[in-house]
Amino acid sequence: MANFQNEATAKKAFVSAMETKYAKEWGSNKQNDDIQSQTAKYLRLGTEQNPRKMEMAKIGAEITKKRGLQAYDPMLHLAGIPLGQRQLTPYTLGGTDIVCDGDDLHYVNNAAMQQEWDDIRRTCVVGLDLAHETLEKRLGKEVTPETINYYLEVLNHAMPGAAIVQEHMVETHPAMVDDCYVKVFTGDDSLKDELDPQFVIDIDKMFRPDHAAQIKASIGKASFQAVHIPTVVSRTADGGQTSRWMAMQVGMSFISAYHMCAGEAAVADLAFTAKHAGLVEMSEMLPARRARGPNEPGGLSFGHMADIVQTSRKFRDDPCKIALETCAAAMMLYDQIWLGGYMSGGVGFTMYATAAYTNNVVDDNLYADTEYGWDKYGTGIGKTVAPTIDIIKDIATWGTLYGLELYENYPTALEDHFGGSQRATVVSTASAAACAITTGNSNAGLSAWYLSMYLHKEGHGRLGFFGYDLQDQCGATNVFSYQSDEGLLGELRGANYPNYAMNVGHQGGYTTVVTGGYTGRGDAFSTNPLVKACFADDLMNFDFVEVRECFGKGALREYDRCAGERAFVIPAK
Amino acid sequence: MAYKPQYYPGSTSVAENRRNHMSNNVKKVRDISDEDLTACLGHRAPGSDYPSTHPPLAEMGEPDCPVREIVTPTPGTAAGDRVRYVQWADSMYNSPSVPYWRSYHAAINYRGVDPGTLSGRQVVEARERDMEAIAKEQMETDMTCPGLSGLRGCTVHGHSCRLQEDGVMFDMLDRRRLEGDSIVQDKDQVGVPIDRKVNLGKPMSPAEAAKKTTFYRVGNVAFRDDAEVVGWTQKVWELRTIYGYQPK
Repeated sequence: MANFQNEATAKKAFVSAMETKYAKEWGSNKQNDDIQSQTAKYLRLGTEQNPRKMEMAKIGAEITKKRGLQAYDPMLHLAGIPLGQRQLTPYTLGGTDIVCDGDDLHYVNNAAMQQEWDDIRRTCVVGLDLAHETLEKRLGKEVTPETINYYLEVLNHAMPGAAIVQEHMVETHPAMVDDCYVKVFTGDDSLKDELDPQFVIDIDKMFRPDHAAQIKASIGKASFQAVHIPTVVSRTADGGQTSRWMAMQVGMSFISAYHMCAGEAAVADLAFTAKHAGLVEMSEMLPARRARGPNEPGGLSFGHMADIVQTSRKFRDDPCKIALETCAAAMMLYDQIWLGGYMSGGVGFTMYATAAYTNNVVDDNLYADTEYGWDKYGTGIGKTVAPTIDIIKDIATWGTLYGLELYENYPTALEDHFGGSQRATVVSTASAAACAITTGNSNAGLSAWYLSMYLHKEGHGRLGFFGYDLQDQCGATNVFSYQSDEGLLGELRGANYPNYAMNVGHQGGYTTVVTGGYTGRGDAFSTNPLVKACFADDLMNFDFVEVRECFGKGALREYDRCAGERAFVIPAK
Repeated sequence: MAYKPQYYPGSTSVAENRRNHMSNNVKKVRDISDEDLTACLGHRAPGSDYPSTHPPLAEMGEPDCPVREIVTPTPGTAAGDRVRYVQWADSMYNSPSVPYWRSYHAAINYRGVDPGTLSGRQVVEARERDMEAIAKEQMETDMTCPGLSGLRGCTVHGHSCRLQEDGVMFDMLDRRRLEGDSIVQDKDQVGVPIDRKVNLGKPMSPAEAAKKTTFYRVGNVAFRDDAEVVGWTQKVWELRTIYGYQPK
């Protein structure tokens, strides 16, 4: 079990994180706590105990003075009632040694978190084969590796916003759009070998051999373009702009590279291919009542999210790490940005999902639960056991009791996750993902999720907020339902799935469970090999392999791969 | 109410306590005056009339209805009271009641109530005088320990914080505190200061709380030790799962 921690090791990491959080000095908050004690001395220091809060208060006062208009003032909480704030403690980002303030795990304060979402929203995949057939069959053009290379050279000039068909006209500044590029990938080795390596996502190099073979077999002889439009464009416009921007530059590049007549009818075919027939977007459209374009987080399926995260490329033998990194990416995107930003307009509330990937608590649970499943059923990566009611019941119960008792044995963990919904997400995510890893079946994992919620509610006489008490008690009946709107596979469900649309803390967990399915099987991808291959690219700004490390750099203000900044065109401070 | 017995599985003291709550088999252990109760709730000034949202039903001239003839209105409904709330937070550390059991207690034993359970808090909404009757019962009986339970209209999170050094559940707004051997409250549910110190009575000793609690936890009665409750919960899940799986 390479890279796999046993229960004792995992617990040690968790205990260490709690000791850092509660027993070490942070700001003026000096504590010397026994992390297993059920009592504590609360100093009631308010915001003054926390360095980041003090920085924010200082800046808020400066803004107030500068503009003559009230700004941030932490003393205004709760209509002026003086706070006796509990301990404001730092977070250890799970799987890393990075310790940071909770405020710095809010996506507004964290550049890496923003870039994760930017990199997803500005990405689409476009097929090349239909366009090539149009060129060959309708226009009699010859398509060769040389012409494709030339086309890609043109396209990487045009995609960032440079004119290509006409004389030089209005163009974008290259420094503003240096994150924009196009590469291609294919399951056809002979074609790949003929293409200029700078333009190729080489699946054989990016994935281990068995995974590469699986992905290439799934893609077949077809070829695709991985397109990343400029971050500044997708931020200024919307997710729908990704394919619009892409299609225009793809069309112009074909016209230029293949010396077409800009007005001929075949151009329409190329445009249709790029805009619709050959297009794979990361996210589906949402219903009109939610009024979002494609490539917005509400339409991003859990399966696509699992494939966007790339941890499985480098840590195939550690399915828990793969699940945890995916958990982090999905929790941030679905909870903070989608539910917090798009749906509810929340601020601090949606931040709580961060707790699900911090302080090694969920790590401890997941490693312990997976080890239980593997030991009990003699399973491992690529060696799963067929899911049954009894197996789901066994792993979910063991994992839930283990998780609840962890909170009972370590009151600081309970205090760290001060809301019940955090506790419920951590326990159910871990036991459900472990079930998915052991069985290689995400539906079995989702089923375990619901049993975990039932047991949690019964054991502690409480669960999460109302959302948990609604959907987590009615979900069991549709896990294995035949009715497609109720029983859709976890991989194809997403933030817009009925009952999942409004519940903070869940969707990152569901993505973790879905991830457990394919990682338990040892597969290369969860749902879509095109998405997995598209993001297998070290040129991406965000590191989709080490998500939590990336977030940590953002929290420490050390993240240096931001795109879409405007410093080049404004007076830089 | 004609319906008395309430059944819950399990052979442990926690299971027995849960059954007691569902059956309203709770003991009065302290006195809270009406004036003090009203002050703690904070909805109206102590001694003032109940504000109403409609005239008394007797003056409403409602149309004939067989259901109205069968169902006697609650006092608050008959008087036209507004709907108000009482909300509790109960500690994770052996508090005598837990949120779901406060809900079950209200839903089973009272009429005209709207109980809601969240992670660490439990709210009952009802007509004001009906709500006060429930709140009074909760405050005066052994389903509440003033040290481990608190009236909290806001900032409820302390339930999962560790207990304070003196064994009292942490309260960010310092609504209640231990003075001498009793818990005293001088702010209402949402933290607005009131003009009196309400004596809520003595907190339970750790041993008494461990005996009275409806919360399973290691170090007392572990959830895993009540195999019947775990098995019953699993059965509920299994039946619901199979119910949804109908390949017709």
